[in-house]
Amino acid sequence: MNQLARRALYAKHVATNLTAIAGMGLRNGPIKTLRDLNRYPWMKILLQANLLNEKFGKNRDDRYYEATLTVISYVVKGFVRILEDMFLRGDRLIIHEDMVPPEIFRAMGLTPFMAELLGIALPMIDPHAVEQYIDRTENYGVPPDVCSLPKSTMGFVLAGELPPALALVSSNLPCDGGMSSYTLIERTLNLPTFRLDIPHHFYNERARTFFVGELRRLIKWLEENTPGKMDWDKLAQICEERNRMVEYELELWDMLKNRPAPLAAEPVYLSHLWGANVSPGEPETTLLFKRLCDLARKNLQEGTGAVPNEQHRALLWNPPLLHAVDLFNWAETAYGVSLIIDSMSYNRREPFIDTSSEESMLYGLGLNIMEGPMARHTRGPSENYLDDIFDMVKRFDLDMLWVAGHVGCKNTAALNGVLREKCREHGLPMLIINYDLSDPRIVSKEGILEQVNHFMENIMNARRLDV
Amino acid sequence: MGTENQFFGGCDVGSTTGKAVILKDNAIVGTAIVPSEIDPEETANLVLEQACRQVDGLSGLSGLTRLIGTGYGRNEVPFAHDNISEITCHASGVYFCNPEVRTVLDIGGQDVKAIALNDQGRVREFVMNDKCAAGTGRFLEMMSRIFKMDLDRFSELSLQAKSVIPITSQCSVFAETEVISLLSKKKPAADIAAGIQASIAKRSFTLLKRVGIQPKVTVTGGCSKSRGLTSHLARLLRLDLEPLSVDPQLMGALGAAAEARKQALGG
Repeated sequence: MNQLARRALYAKHVATNLTAIAGMGLRNGPIKTLRDLNRYPWMKILLQANLLNEKFGKNRDDRYYEATLTVISYVVKGFVRILEDMFLRGDRLIIHEDMVPPEIFRAMGLTPFMAELLGIALPMIDPHAVEQYIDRTENYGVPPDVCSLPKSTMGFVLAGELPPALALVSSNLPCDGGMSSYTLIERTLNLPTFRLDIPHHFYNERARTFFVGELRRLIKWLEENTPGKMDWDKLAQICEERNRMVEYELELWDMLKNRPAPLAAEPVYLSHLWGANVSPGEPETTLLFKRLCDLARKNLQEGTGAVPNEQHRALLWNPPLLHAVDLFNWAETAYGVSLIIDSMSYNRREPFIDTSSEESMLYGLGLNIMEGPMARHTRGPSENYLDDIFDMVKRFDLDMLWVAGHVGCKNTAALNGVLREKCREHGLPMLIINYDLSDPRIVSKEGILEQVNHFMENIMNARRLDV
Repeated sequence: MGTENQFFGGCDVGSTTGKAVILKDNAIVGTAIVPSEIDPEETANLVLEQACRQVDGLSGLSGLTRLIGTGYGRNEVPFAHDNISEITCHASGVYFCNPEVRTVLDIGGQDVKAIALNDQGRVREFVMNDKCAAGTGRFLEMMSRIFKMDLDRFSELSLQAKSVIPITSQCSVFAETEVISLLSKKKPAADIAAGIQASIAKRSFTLLKRVGIQPKVTVTGGCSKSRGLTSHLARLLRLDLEPLSVDPQLMGALGAAAEARKQALGG
């Protein structure tokens, strides 16, 4: 792509993002938006979302660059929509945990606000964004060794920076830290609270049917405690739209199996992270995946790889490194590493939702949650964790595994010892990156890069391509 | 071109000492160890000059066909043709000495590394402790200073122990206080010294466990010369440590020289 075309594409996406933000400000009213900026200081970080274009787009070219900017614009517009919903339809707002299906709220005409979203999105833009919220939670008395994501979320609550809501919906997933945070959140916000009781061992029909019952109990509770009313036709529409997204995503995955991979990194994992967890079943999400498939297909037809000199194909295990989120952009240039797929995206054992009845839709939504990575991999049995890794390695023709070894994740820390032995047996090179998901004060980005350098040089016998 | 007039150098610029090895026809023809200067380049110059002087037919540094730098100061050896990490070099050096070794513990002046090798001598897995001084050569130096001994005498002292007094402090600063306190209580010096060596051995053992202990196992780095330490380690591992035919402190430099030879000959 020549410089002029690159600049034009960049300018188009920056303008699109700014227009979306400005539009939200206008619809909310300029004065009120200024007041809201004061009321929700984290919004100022979101205004800098265009920084992501540089973070993720740097050194990328052609269709890979376009795919990257397209995903960023999709996420920015998605966030703007959440804010707009929060401001303009706040009277129907439900704060929910990340392991609760948002499709249900939408079908009930409610406004979902995923509490963990701020702790996930803000450090991607500003690596230090949630430090003050983590500190606030720890100073309140929450033990420092609790995962920094729920600590961030609790910090926003303690700082009074979550929007007013009608109710709170959480679950007993994904981990003790996440679960316990909702006790504090419930007490602080003093809201009617519903907890989805998800069976611990959910690999049988009885457990799956039980979860359908739990979702029905949730719907009934929401109808009694909020103005929301379940519209089953709307839920069917949402699920069908979700199925269309999944079709495209599976096609994209098929293309990723090829060497060199036609797309990689953010167009694969960030698109899924948002599309499957925040905006599932929305036409914008389907359009995004369609566009990604188009770009990947063209690259594939021409034999063009996303990473020009693809030397290594990586699997990222655990959530992306939020405060060092451009790690893979760096690794592409430094070592020719393509991030092909990640654990957060891989929940496709029974991917489509059957929309033929109320029961079948709830069953499918339940499976999405129960078989989702943060449930399947953190609740056990350990075979899930291990089998999925080696399945993915085979399916996507991968040659190394990078485990984002978040110090706050007790569940995966326990499994990593077993994983180390299994990788040894399979001859799969594995890097465990010691770091904290959201707090760069624990291990800085430089410290993370140093670990990668050691691994690439000593285990992969790789040379830096950029020095 | 044959290799009869080719010399391959390895220079390991460590935090405590600089080491150099020169290879000719796959045989060691020159070695040197010098205390590290503040400037790594100066250390490299000094140690390489010493090593080169031992070699007939080698006209100083410029006569080296290929030179590779390693160690913490490896980037500061401007006259090296290339630099390679000390992890890879220790693996390569050990493989040069004994291709049957599969697990290496490198106890250096400022860090400790456990390295697992494959049957080609390449690094299969490694873990390192580079965050804590306890368990490193620096810690051993600190402790021997309390006893007003050099490292050799300190090691010998520990071997005379009748029992081992455990040093429970995890931190080298607190361990120093603990040792002084034990000495002031008139506890036997040899037993305390043995406790110090045992504490380093335990730390190394846990590091080795993480890469998977596969025989044969050997120890490299300056601390490998401490018999007190290696005997404790062998006891924990329940196996004999593999002795190396070359001074284990030279292993990084030897590996660098072997890598230089490999690069030059396209091996």
